[in-house]
Amino acid sequence: MDQFYQALAHNPFLFYINSSTVLSAMMEVAHYAGFMLLVGSIAIVDLRILGLAAHSRTAASLAQDLFPWMWTGFAFALVSGFVMFAGDAPDFGRSWVFQVKVLWIIVALIFGIAVQWKVSSWERPESHSMPIFAKFVALISIILWIGAILVSVEVPAISGVG
Amino acid sequence: MSNFLMSFAKWLENTRWALSISGSNWAYPFVQWTHFSGLSLWLGTNFALDFRLLGLGKKRNTAAELANALFAWNWTGFGIAICGGFMLFASSATKYVVNPAFLLKLGIFVPLALIVHIINQQKAKTWGLTPDVPGIAKCAGLFELVLWLCVVTCAVSISTFETF
Repeated sequence: MDQFYQALAHNPFLFYINSSTVLSAMMEVAHYAGFMLLVGSIAIVDLRILGLAAHSRTAASLAQDLFPWMWTGFAFALVSGFVMFAGDAPDFGRSWVFQVKVLWIIVALIFGIAVQWKVSSWERPESHSMPIFAKFVALISIILWIGAILVSVEVPAISGVG
Repeated sequence: MSNFLMSFAKWLENTRWALSISGSNWAYPFVQWTHFSGLSLWLGTNFALDFRLLGLGKKRNTAAELANALFAWNWTGFGIAICGGFMLFASSATKYVVNPAFLLKLGIFVPLALIVHIINQQKAKTWGLTPDVPGIAKCAGLFELVLWLCVVTCAVSISTFETF
């Protein structure tokens, strides 16, 4: 793995981006804006399933409008995150906090996909209310995503990288 | 004005609670977490409405319906972001008040973006009554999107201009 990290860190294209003040700032903007769009979108759908938001809209219609933006945000965060990771790949790769962050986000994504996949079938057609199981999944999803932000800010705090 | 700002910043930075944030290994990430969580709700919902005003996306809900649905948590996110942001500012106030990126962020772009956001949120009630939005709504949505991206750009540039 160490050889892979070294190869990433010395890749000419990635090195050029990370050495440029303007381009690396653009990567940070894309990363922050991307994850805010991602977390904001999924959080609203989770809050709707929990019965805490957007009562005037059905959860299914809200999900249909917001999930494309969740995935758009994820794409921006993923690509920019990879570029930023490459700049310090050996240090990030060795950081247990960073590994926890990646695993955490994978688990959060699984719950996000579950919400996206099942929200229409969960919603009761007459009352637009949600069963308890759906609320449980939505609660776990929002906790995971808000928790992902905490894990992310701990990476530079604990490991000193990023 | 700058003397007053610096005096205020020095006073704020030396309050007991500000010192407890700057002097703690766990408090500072926690405060960052508060700021970013609030911003995720605030900017996430802002971007969603701006994209809808631009006529992008699925259009299951009209822009007016979306603005109404997102309103409460949009401003809740803003409140959380402000609380976290103020605590972040207080912990290093004397550095922030002389940082050009921070002054540009809070002095120009945030107030401007906020005004445009309030206008868009109100006007969405009339612009967004039908699935297709008028051209002025698209311009307004794009303008707000660009302004918030300027805010984020200033925020990530703060560390570039930091003096020690």
